[in-house]
Amino acid sequence: MKKNTNFSRRFFLKTTGAFTLLASIPAVLKATYIQVKEFIVPSKRIVPLTVSVNKKAYQLDSDTRTTLLDLLRENLDLTGTKKGCDHGQCGACTVHVDGERVLSCLTLSAMLVGKEVTTIEGIADGDHLHPMQEAFISCDGFQCGYCTPGQIMSAIACVKEGHTHSVEDIKEYMSGNLCRCGAYNGIVESIQKVAAS
Amino acid sequence: MRYFEQQHQPPREGRVEALDKVTGKGKYAAEYKLDGMCYAVLIGSTIASGKIKNMDLTKAKQVKSVIGFVSHLQKPEVPGFASEAMIKASRFGLPIFHTDTIYFKGQPIILVIAETLEDATYAASLVEVEYETAPFNVDFESSYGAVPMKEAGKERGKLDAWSDAAVVVQEEYNIKPEVHHPMEMHATIAQWTSEDHLMLYDKTQGVNNVQQVIAPLFNLKKEHIEVMSEFVGGGFGSGLRVWPHVLAAIMGAKQVKRPVKLMLTRPQMFIGTGYRPASWQRIKLGADLSGKFLGIHHQAKNETSLYERFSDQITRVTRLIYNFDHLKTEDALVPLNINAATWMRGPGDCTGDFAIECAIDELSYKLKMDPLDVRSKNIAATHHPDNKLPWSSNYLLDCMTEGAKRIGWKNRNAAPNAMREGDWHVGYGMSVGMWNAGRNKTSAAIKMMSNGQIIVQTAMTDIGTGTGTGMKNIAHELTGIPRNKITIELGNSNLPPAPSQGGSTGMSSVSGAVVDAVNLLKLKLAEYAAVTNLKFKDAPEESIVLSETGISLAHEPTVKVSYSDLWKTNKLDTVVVEATSAPGEERKKYAFCSSAAHFCQVRVNIKTGKVKIDKLICVADGGKIVNEKAAANQMSGAAVGGIGMALMEERRFDHRFGGLIGDDLAGYHFPVNADAPIIDVSFIGKPDPHINPTGAKGLGEVGIIGTAAAIANAIYHATGKRLRDLPITADQILS
Ligand code: FES
Ligand code: FES
Repeated sequence: MKKNTNFSRRFFLKTTGAFTLLASIPAVLKATYIQVKEFIVPSKRIVPLTVSVNKKAYQLDSDTRTTLLDLLRENLDLTGTKKGCDHGQCGACTVHVDGERVLSCLTLSAMLVGKEVTTIEGIADGDHLHPMQEAFISCDGFQCGYCTPGQIMSAIACVKEGHTHSVEDIKEYMSGNLCRCGAYNGIVESIQKVAAS
Repeated sequence: MRYFEQQHQPPREGRVEALDKVTGKGKYAAEYKLDGMCYAVLIGSTIASGKIKNMDLTKAKQVKSVIGFVSHLQKPEVPGFASEAMIKASRFGLPIFHTDTIYFKGQPIILVIAETLEDATYAASLVEVEYETAPFNVDFESSYGAVPMKEAGKERGKLDAWSDAAVVVQEEYNIKPEVHHPMEMHATIAQWTSEDHLMLYDKTQGVNNVQQVIAPLFNLKKEHIEVMSEFVGGGFGSGLRVWPHVLAAIMGAKQVKRPVKLMLTRPQMFIGTGYRPASWQRIKLGADLSGKFLGIHHQAKNETSLYERFSDQITRVTRLIYNFDHLKTEDALVPLNINAATWMRGPGDCTGDFAIECAIDELSYKLKMDPLDVRSKNIAATHHPDNKLPWSSNYLLDCMTEGAKRIGWKNRNAAPNAMREGDWHVGYGMSVGMWNAGRNKTSAAIKMMSNGQIIVQTAMTDIGTGTGTGMKNIAHELTGIPRNKITIELGNSNLPPAPSQGGSTGMSSVSGAVVDAVNLLKLKLAEYAAVTNLKFKDAPEESIVLSETGISLAHEPTVKVSYSDLWKTNKLDTVVVEATSAPGEERKKYAFCSSAAHFCQVRVNIKTGKVKIDKLICVADGGKIVNEKAAANQMSGAAVGGIGMALMEERRFDHRFGGLIGDDLAGYHFPVNADAPIIDVSFIGKPDPHINPTGAKGLGEVGIIGTAAAIANAIYHATGKRLRDLPITADQILS
């Protein structure tokens, strides 16, 4: 590691109180930027929307900017689907749309017309848990539980897609679902258990 | 307060809260729905140093559903921040909304509140802020050199006593800052239920800590603040502090007189809830030719913010594991234009242990000795090397023996860079870790109903640690009451007070309280039983036996009173007992530690620099294991964290503009499923005889302390390349 003793000079310069005004952006550029931003970043538009979640139809007036994730959590009180990044980088928000795993934070709710959404709240059959839920309990496939709904939704899809031939196979196809608790041992075991049954 | 709904379900093995977690029913902080609740979005400064000159809210105010703003220019009164002196005395850290000074880029400066999250987010994008900028510094590497060292702990022996040591290793180690990143982003819902009553749904590791920090700021009675944290989506240290956003939500709720929900974004999690600070270390380690350590000189520096000094106490672990007759530890802080750092899993020790364990490995190769033997020779197996108290229990040597057996240590080719499979080089590495095993004052209560059902309560949070399940197991073991008749309530400040869940003290602390509460329950029930049967009169607790149906005496099992009779004769409703348990005299007689040995087998591709971890083995001494599955899960999870520390995690700064780059989960990598092997965890499992009534010592930290060194040492063994800076990325391996 290189060493550099510039620090002391720079550090003390800073404390002399020599403030400078932020270099102002040319006015024309700024005006254009704001125009473009106002054009691109839409303000509110409400549209009527019918969505089907866990086989229940909801008729709503929905903000066109609302993601499926926020629709579930903030409007439908289905908070089982989790927000871990809101940017498609963690998998916590995984749900099924027409049986395929989908990141609900990257899906606008307006895109769901005519589709069937299944969330963690919709996979048990009454009091009978889905086998993957049972497996996560018996294999301790979680710690804090925050990534768990997303893991379970992905795990069900992983089995359905047939990516369970080996531990490596499972790990690869479950790598879109982060678990900061690092409960990966139990997650893999849960999937093996369901795949074997 | 809702009970865990277990008793109506068919009996299942698994955690007490498992059903709530796998069905999505468990409510985490941001998931409560309150009448009139609105949404807040926090805006951070776009400069790294200077002053706020002007805020223009005109455009933001045009967004129809905007309800209000909080900033240093418009805010409700915070009595505890009434003057500069009071702000200092509050020790809150960043005086959010009470200064126009910018200490770091991303510092929260305005809160925007609107009816919906979409509107609040949009309005926040329309706020315009003008600044006066000032020079700044975010560059740790070019800055630490100028900061002088200070003694950290008393010197042992003399530094120059071993200047003629036969073998010496003197090297420097650099570790990049890491961010906790629990999967649940920090969130707070604040609701003023009256002028002087506050309800908080908060992501925290300690509900009572939140009360203590917030109460003086608003001149509230502690018990007038209810903090609800029944489900906490991980913490790793980030929930041990009350961060500025919590105060922002509370001020927001006061400003608009409605409940306010504030969830940080993932980029805000990089700058708002602490991190493991960047560090530089120098180790000088000497030994004689037999491998006996002669002395160590350990120096460490960590970065910190300008508004708050945080020392990670990196050299503490050096004073703990091995016998050094001569030891000198020094540290220093390097203040920068960055947010405040905090404890992160295995705080300090994780960092210090990496340097020592790598240095010992290097020394072993110089000595041409097995790194396992060098360690065994020097481990302080009987006494704490600093205070000389005997260890209450220390099975680190057994951990090492077991780990070596599991990985086949003896069968490896000991020479570095000697095992190859095509482009892949194979290597083995090991290390050890240790943690001062603490215990804090904790209360627990038991409520019992006539049908023999009990509720066990504590305010302690369960952040994924399995605390509730551990409590249930202890209560079941001691009362004989079946698990499906025991419910657990935790994570609420109205429950019996408890310390924060942190520093591996949770189970150690709460287990004692549950044991004491069970004993109180026994005595109380015996008192009631004595009304009908005098044999129970003044029976000592160890002679009282509880079961599913009633109370009896150990030496006379036929003398029995059923709970229903007991309740009837005494006209009882619910029997309630509460016990508080704390460390005592044993702390003066013994030293306490948890420890672990880590073994690793890696494959390193010499063409691409890719590191694959084939095996990671962790054997731990955590005293009695109260909940085997959850404990193993903790340990393997910590090892996964160690992989991140070793190979990928790094909070990066743009030195020109003073901000973070790659501040999302695409730019900051921690291990995904495929990055970790199936981790092999095992325990010594012997109860510690003195730490607390159960003998459980705590495990959260030792799972990660040492993992990174084991990996780095294995990479050296595979490639012959000694890499001393973390994370070890492909470019380092190929350089
Ligand atoms: S919240 Fe959707 S991927 Fe992270
Ligand atoms: S269980 Fe906590 S993040 Fe996966």
